[in-house]
Amino acid sequence: MPTPPAADASASASLKEQLATAAAVTLGAWPGVAARAILAMALCVSSAAVLAAPSRNLLVLYSNSRLLPGIVAVDRGLRDALADHSALPIQLFSEFLDSPQFGGEAHERTIVAYLKSKYSDQPPQALLAVSDAAFVFLVRHRRELFPEAPLLYASVAPSVLREFAASAQDLVGVPVSYDFAGTIEQALRWHPKARRLVIITGTAPRDRGWEARLRREAPPVAGGREIEFWAGLPTATLLQRLAALDDRTVVFTIGYFVDGAGARSNPHEAVARLAKASAAPVYGPLDTFIGTGVVGGRMPSFEAVGRQAGMIVVKLLAGVPPASIERPAPAPTPLHVDWRQVKRFGIDEAAIPADTIVHYREPTFWEQYRLVAIVATAIILLQAGLIGALLLERRRRRTAEVAAQKHRVELAHASRLAVAGELTASIAHEINQPLGAVQISADAADLLLQSDDDRRDDLRRIVTRIRRDSVRASDVIRRLRALLARHEPERLLFDVDVAIREVATLMSAEARRRGVTLDFRSGTSPCNVLGDQTQIQQVLINLALNAMDAAAHLEPDQRVVVITAEEAGGRARVTVRDRGKGIAAEDLPKIFDSFYSTKPHGMGLGLSIARTIVEAHGGRIFAERNTGAGATFTFELPLRAGAKAAAPGTP
Amino acid sequence: MSARALIHVVDDDASLRESLVDLLRAGGFDAQGYGSTGEFLLESIPDRHGCLLLDVKLPGPSGLELQAALQSRGFTLPIVFLTGHADVPTSVRAMKAGAVDFLEKPVVREKLFEAIENALARDAAARATREVAQRRDARLAALTTREREVFDRIVAGRRNQEIADEYGISLRTVKAYRAQLMDKLGVHTAAELGRLAGGPHDATD
Repeated sequence: MPTPPAADASASASLKEQLATAAAVTLGAWPGVAARAILAMALCVSSAAVLAAPSRNLLVLYSNSRLLPGIVAVDRGLRDALADHSALPIQLFSEFLDSPQFGGEAHERTIVAYLKSKYSDQPPQALLAVSDAAFVFLVRHRRELFPEAPLLYASVAPSVLREFAASAQDLVGVPVSYDFAGTIEQALRWHPKARRLVIITGTAPRDRGWEARLRREAPPVAGGREIEFWAGLPTATLLQRLAALDDRTVVFTIGYFVDGAGARSNPHEAVARLAKASAAPVYGPLDTFIGTGVVGGRMPSFEAVGRQAGMIVVKLLAGVPPASIERPAPAPTPLHVDWRQVKRFGIDEAAIPADTIVHYREPTFWEQYRLVAIVATAIILLQAGLIGALLLERRRRRTAEVAAQKHRVELAHASRLAVAGELTASIAHEINQPLGAVQISADAADLLLQSDDDRRDDLRRIVTRIRRDSVRASDVIRRLRALLARHEPERLLFDVDVAIREVATLMSAEARRRGVTLDFRSGTSPCNVLGDQTQIQQVLINLALNAMDAAAHLEPDQRVVVITAEEAGGRARVTVRDRGKGIAAEDLPKIFDSFYSTKPHGMGLGLSIARTIVEAHGGRIFAERNTGAGATFTFELPLRAGAKAAAPGTP
Repeated sequence: MSARALIHVVDDDASLRESLVDLLRAGGFDAQGYGSTGEFLLESIPDRHGCLLLDVKLPGPSGLELQAALQSRGFTLPIVFLTGHADVPTSVRAMKAGAVDFLEKPVVREKLFEAIENALARDAAARATREVAQRRDARLAALTTREREVFDRIVAGRRNQEIADEYGISLRTVKAYRAQLMDKLGVHTAAELGRLAGGPHDATD
């Protein structure tokens, strides 16, 4: 047989299936130079291994290329089993027939010579043939190569074992079986609408073998559906036909080595092309087909096969006679499925058995992040709740604040009314005084006009005075109105000094009425603060009235109330000092509390309101006992330096 | 009355004070204003016919103290008080301080002038009494000691004989003293003599 074209050798990925499917071993020519080089290297390695450890040697011969995923899986299972179960150190050697790229009589002879020479110094104590080609090779040559070593097998088709039944009688191993019927049965169950089953096979001898087997095994499981064999058709024709199908047809194939046009391929590559082109679901019996577009099928696990073989190796090398080793059943063929195809063909998810091996299922968000999602949702809910509660709380607090603010304004106003009530007599005097003067002046002018003399100068002077006095009267009323007006608190810049001077004017009459000397000592620099001038004046009036009350019982020369206004440490400081009986030490902490009064008829609100006002201006108010007689009340307000006061009429 | 009456206006309210001064002047009086009782007391007030117009609520010395101070200078002036509201305690205090009248503010011109006239009349009367007393005192001062003794006894209602007995002098001597002192005092009847001795309170003419 001629050497296969180079195109075959290059398709290394497509070699996977051949581990399981290669039937005919075709040995080709081994390039002499490369062979010698590899031999030399291998000898060096094995010599070193012998010196290193007195171990049992196991030679594993694989049918195909060493990089085939199936081979890698078998190797992994084998090594796992040896590592887990062997008490002895086992030296593992692996060789590869590289079927079907290499084959033929000459190649086979070369391999025999190579292995004979390579392992002459350290012959293996056991042989393991993986898949059909390697099994056939070793059955043929093991007498010549390693007559002492028992032969084990893994992943060999039962049909091959039957073929060599005579020589395989005493052999132990793990058979592998492709479950055509099970795969077809499952496929038809998932596609209840399907009326037709299409089975695709090729023209190579192995392909024909599969076709024969399928013609036998398919009808019993087709459930009366029409079965159509597309056997030995050219790939182009197949692709065209597949594209025209719909979901009323189910396709089964194991691929092929040669198509109807004689083009060489391999099962994996063939299946990949067919599945890609097909509009109908395609099923196959090899797990390596998963990912090519195949929906799924019942497929043996190569790793499990490797592990089972490993267990047998361990027993054999431990000295258990082959005959007494239990023959394992063919490797199980669990159901595999490609979840993307399940979605594509709308397969009922409930119909997928729980033990199905599902591939390519993107875990749903919920599956992938369930804990995170629960925690995050809980946190978000908690936060939302908290935010909601806080918002509610804030709203309630704002409502309460607005209400409190309104109450403060009303209370302050009521307090001003009360103050005005106290000042009524003196305010009336303040207004009457200029009005009386106006009247008298008018009388005087009247008299002067009646006289014959020219008294024009006197008259002019009198008229000027009348004008001045009427302004004076209306000023008192203006100030009074400002004090009594109910208005929202302002935030304007004003000079504390000016504000207090106005209060002093307003209160001078009251002080005279009470026989109290009001000594107002103003600072030199302007004390600009931000706030409500009327409220601050109210505070001062309160304090001044209190001080005058305290002075009421004193001797006339002791009835002095001193009011100072000055700048102190960045604050405007106003003090009101009297020489009264002062404040008892136990009263001192309480005098600014509401409804606390030491006066017989006091409401106990004046100082409380004063404190509220001062604190609302960012200031503080406090009382002290004088070292001499009486008490001093002080309030301080933060200064707004550099700003020009808006209060007009600053002297 | 030789000169125009002088009204002293004491009020700490400048406007009111100036108005009052203007009004009084327009009404034909002399008027002088003072900002406080202290200011008034510091001035050398001439002993002139007039009166005081005083705010009852003035700080400093009270009306009573003002009167006492004037008294020490040998004269007094009637006071017309101005008051915001004439309540009883205020009135009592003012009367004690020598008030002749109250004027409630606002001041009505007619009432003011009426009160001023009343006060001036009071002042004029007081001045007349003071003059009589002064004249009598001057005359009595011209008597000898014995003449004064006899005068006192006559005024006390003693008869001539009783006086003669008391001093151990003759009746005729007593009569001679009597004629002598009546001549010095410028009276012609015993009744006149008695009125002279009656003091300033009775001297109404």
